[in-house]
Amino acid sequence: MTSTWRRLFALLAVFGLLAAACGSDDSDSASEAEAETVDFKIGLVTDTGKVDDKSFNQSAWEGAQQAAAVIGAEVDYIETEASKDYEANIQLFLDDGANVIVTVGFGMGEATIAAANAHPDVLFIGVDQGQWGGVIPNLAGLIFPEDKSGFLAGALAGMLTESNIVGAVLGTDLVPPVVAFKEGWENGARYTNPSVKTISTYHPGGIDVAFGDPEWGATTSRQVIDQGADIIFGAGGSTGNGALIEVAATEGLYCVGVDTDQWTTVPEAQPCLVTSAMKLIDIGVASLIADAYAGVMEGGNSIGEVGLAPYHDFESTVTAEMRATLDEVLAGLTDGSISTGYPLS
Amino acid sequence: MNKKLFRSCVTPVAAVALGLIIGAILIASQGSSPITAYQAMLVGGLRDSDALLRTFQKATPLIFGGLAVAFAFKAGLFNIGGQGQLLIGAVFAAGVGFGLDGLPMVIHLPLALIAGGLAAAIWGGIAGALKATSGAHEVIVTIMLNFVAGNLTDWLSSSPWKDNSGDRIIARTPPIEPSAEIPTWGALPVGFLLAILVAIMCWFVLERTTFGFQVKSVGFNKDAARYSGIRIGVITASTMAISGMLAGFGGAVESLGVDGRFEAGVNVGLGFEGITIALLARANPIAVIPAGLLVGLMQAGASRMQFKADVAPEIIDVIQALILFFVAAPTILRWILRFQNQTDEDLKLGVGWGSK
Repeated sequence: MTSTWRRLFALLAVFGLLAAACGSDDSDSASEAEAETVDFKIGLVTDTGKVDDKSFNQSAWEGAQQAAAVIGAEVDYIETEASKDYEANIQLFLDDGANVIVTVGFGMGEATIAAANAHPDVLFIGVDQGQWGGVIPNLAGLIFPEDKSGFLAGALAGMLTESNIVGAVLGTDLVPPVVAFKEGWENGARYTNPSVKTISTYHPGGIDVAFGDPEWGATTSRQVIDQGADIIFGAGGSTGNGALIEVAATEGLYCVGVDTDQWTTVPEAQPCLVTSAMKLIDIGVASLIADAYAGVMEGGNSIGEVGLAPYHDFESTVTAEMRATLDEVLAGLTDGSISTGYPLS
Repeated sequence: MNKKLFRSCVTPVAAVALGLIIGAILIASQGSSPITAYQAMLVGGLRDSDALLRTFQKATPLIFGGLAVAFAFKAGLFNIGGQGQLLIGAVFAAGVGFGLDGLPMVIHLPLALIAGGLAAAIWGGIAGALKATSGAHEVIVTIMLNFVAGNLTDWLSSSPWKDNSGDRIIARTPPIEPSAEIPTWGALPVGFLLAILVAIMCWFVLERTTFGFQVKSVGFNKDAARYSGIRIGVITASTMAISGMLAGFGGAVESLGVDGRFEAGVNVGLGFEGITIALLARANPIAVIPAGLLVGLMQAGASRMQFKADVAPEIIDVIQALILFFVAAPTILRWILRFQNQTDEDLKLGVGWGSK
């Protein structure tokens, strides 16, 4: 028995040595601080997702990095493992003396408002967090006119469809941005093609499953194809991605992605992916951080930019005429002469 | 040193040590310092009252979940339904927590706890009763009931019990009444004390009562138990009900002591961790407490570890999985540590499989 004890201790000793051997670079924070850095710290807390999620967390992180590079500031992130940790993770950056804290995602809205109220000297940027309950001077909510993004994509779809039927496979209507995408998409298609028929389907599940159900997305998109649709909009996390991939399996059909340029994020969908209805989260985050650094960031809602992703393999499919129409639509949406039929609430 | 105690400790301790060592190698291979990482983890889970509070809060559902699995093990049953039972416990405790008002705390709080425990006991009892009457395997039934529980609680929190104030987007119940809130004393959540109390009660029931003897007899040798007049069906059904109730208490404490409401999607995975805890504790109800605290500490410190040492927080899951692997495969440990043959202390985890 004593020999077993000895082996156990030996094991622990090895562990200690190993850790000591690997643990020589304690001064990593000092080496990171280079000559041009200024005393400005940016922190980013993700939703229960990863900074390389190929979606909104990643876009926000890229924006924060761009801003940090321009300013010469320190930037770091924390990936949230469980939604119960939102407050603790924001607190880590507060303890660290961060000047700006970016929180990503609708789910962090309440925790961000609480932190902003408790720490008026720190600036907060809440991505996808509409500030409808009153303006907090040190909290900017970055929101996007998804209806405009959807409208542009729909306008293109209305011109591309040959069957005169366009489909949409969507996350839950419990989330306003998804509804905005859908309404914009349908009205956009009708704008360029008044005789078009639209088939749009929301995932029937709750907010915790509606964006993570690629099988439902694929099945539903198959049904929409069977009803004659030849271009399908997939909007709703991996549920939407499942729809895109299903469309890609049939030759001659088109699909439209959402949020980011899904050409790179969902390569399986490349055979059908004409474009994506984008929210330019990175640009929005970067410009808000720049405002924060300059001391001019305003509380309340900040409206970000939207647009269509590059056409990639479909450059020749989208004719010059179509592009001209899209430019007109974009101009109309921007100056307000075209309405998406879905007011930003 | 008590020889028996030593023998039962050596496998889990060695498993934890090995898990941390391999974790350290993985951290080092990411280009980070394992010392900085583990130090940050400890600081993040122990440094001040906030950190301790987080550790205790994380440990509480783990202890309840561990007790649920451990109790079922004693009767040779493998309860994989901890997640579903926890959700049922959480939603019904919240239901009573927000649905009734004007009650004094001494009535409201216990009532909400009992509602959660009782609902989860029924949920677990379904699997036990099916096993007792038709022989349906509890592993299959509890797994399937997890899905039913997930959808049932989703529906409850997005339709009839939905909070219709404010944004109205999130599927969650209204906040519970203050009279149903489990208080926190400084860094010590009362829910954690409750978990310890329940662990001691589990030990007492199993080791000092006739019922506990019957449960263990069924787990040890079903045929001998039947021959000696123990009603296997009754024991099976009631063991699963108790197991479900224990997991349900974990969910109830989350709703009443941590979240302040039930919200779909925030308790994901909590119930499954109970299996790790029970295995690490070798199905001993008292040992479930330190096992839950250890994993709770790792989870509470994970964010800080990520922050200070640039380590992906998943490393904690990897270490947990490694520990589970080494506990479940003691042969590998024995080969590494060259123990003497100690088969007498091995946990019979396979009893539930394939037995009628």
